[in-house]
Formats: sequence, structure tokens, C-alpha cells
Amino acid sequence: MIRSCTFFAVLALLTGAAFAHHGWGSYDAAKPVTVSGPVVTSKFENPHATITVRGSDKVWTVTLAPTSRMASRGATQNMIAVGKTISAYGYPSTVEKDEMRAERITVDGKTFEMR
Amino acid sequence: MTGEAPAIFVALEQSGFAAAIRQSLWLYPAANVGHIVFLTMFAGSLAVMDVRLLGGLGAIAPGVLLTQARRFALAALAGMAITGFVLFSAEASHVSLNPVFQLKMALLAAGLANVAIYEFWAKRLIATLTPGAPLPPRAKVLGILSLGIWLSVAICGRSIAYF
Repeated sequence: MIRSCTFFAVLALLTGAAFAHHGWGSYDAAKPVTVSGPVVTSKFENPHATITVRGSDKVWTVTLAPTSRMASRGATQNMIAVGKTISAYGYPSTVEKDEMRAERITVDGKTFEMR
Repeated sequence: MTGEAPAIFVALEQSGFAAAIRQSLWLYPAANVGHIVFLTMFAGSLAVMDVRLLGGLGAIAPGVLLTQARRFALAALAGMAITGFVLFSAEASHVSLNPVFQLKMALLAAGLANVAIYEFWAKRLIATLTPGAPLPPRAKVLGILSLGIWLSVAICGRSIAYF
């Protein structure tokens, strides 16, 4: 009885609710977007760096990678600083409004992979 | 989303301590790695205890084995609590609202309650058992509960990132 309850609780948990904030599951890879414009705010923080970018249509929140990964690939805090012009290719969130997760970003003519 | 979280968790996330965790290149990943290392240590010692309660590892007296394995389990649990608090602090406001995190904390409480039940309901019975002696049914009930609860805690822990 207890064992089957636990089993079904776990099963319900794994198959049930919708994906949300983290991972790539809550981003729509079928609708890639490219957001280009100036960096409005910049947080070089774990677990993911995030910036907001004033695109042509609206201000996007762009979720980047863990800071150690970004730093090791050359995408340092200075590269994503406020005022930099950035181009981010990625996927819009299916949960958070105006948020996208970047697959790669281009700054100062250099492209950095985020995955 | 931050606005909906309990004030204490918003304050924790906005503290200098949490900011330092987010701004360090290595602190958050180190806590993440440490949490997993302590998890493997915990799972190993837990397996020894629960297998013994279910009748395995019969050549050793259960009282002795459980007392010794528990020291490792408690040390690992303390390690997970510390590293887990670091991970939680960095994103306290939205993690506190995460339904899987809430379920994990409820299951964690159930796991600790199971330990308390063992202390008061079974420990004395088991302490006197010799190697190979049959175990009382309550030992098996608590062993199965322990396995089920702690595995569910681990599953929830890994699932927080996806909900």
C-alpha cells in the first residue's frame, strides 16, 4: 500500500505538470528569435547570467549561461555590460513573458556559444 | 514572481550572502557539486541501513550496523543541508514557490519523522537482535518507508530545475 502510493506519487510527479523556469524544456525551439540591440541591464550571476536587451519590438530578458562557462569562453562580464550592442539568437520562453534563452550571442564581432 | 514569495525568502535572496553566491564564479557550482557528493554518501549509508532493516546483510547484528552507518548518513545530511542552503539562497524567492521544491521539503520532513518514529518505536527492539535473527515487521515497514521517502526526495531535488 505504502509502496504503491509512493510509486504513483513519483509517477504523477514525473509525468504531470508543465515545465517552467530552468532547462531548455520551457523554451520553444520551433520559433527561434534573434534579438539585437543595446544591453539595458546586466547581471553576471549564477545560476545563469541574464541581461535585458532593447530589441526592435520590445525589451527582452535574455537568459544566458552559468558565469564560469561564459568566462571560460571569453564572454566575460565586460562583454555583456550595460550599453554594449548585442545580438542574441535563441528561443522564446513558453512560460515567462518576453524572456528568451540564448543559444549563442554575438558581441564586438565575436560569437559565443551558451550551451 | 518575486513579489509573491514570503518576505523572509525575498530578504534572503536580496542579502549580501546570497549576492556573493550569485556573483562568485565558483561558489554556486561548488555547492552544486558538493550537494551531489554528499548525496552519494548519504545514499550509500542509507542503503546499508534500509537493506539491513529489510533483512539483508544478515551476518551483522542490525543494532551495530545501523548505529555505525547512521554516523555517515548524518554527516552527509549535514553536508547536504549546508550546500542546499547555499543553492536555495541564491534563488530563494522563486525556488520557495516551486511546487517540486515544496514537495521535496515536505518529503524531507517525512523522512526525518520516519527517523524519529524509528527512535521511539523500533530502536530498542532492534538493538538486542543477534546476527541472523528475524526482524520485527515494524523494521521492514520503516525500512520501506525510508527507501521510498528518501528516493522521492532525491527525485524531487533533481526535478526542481525543470518545473
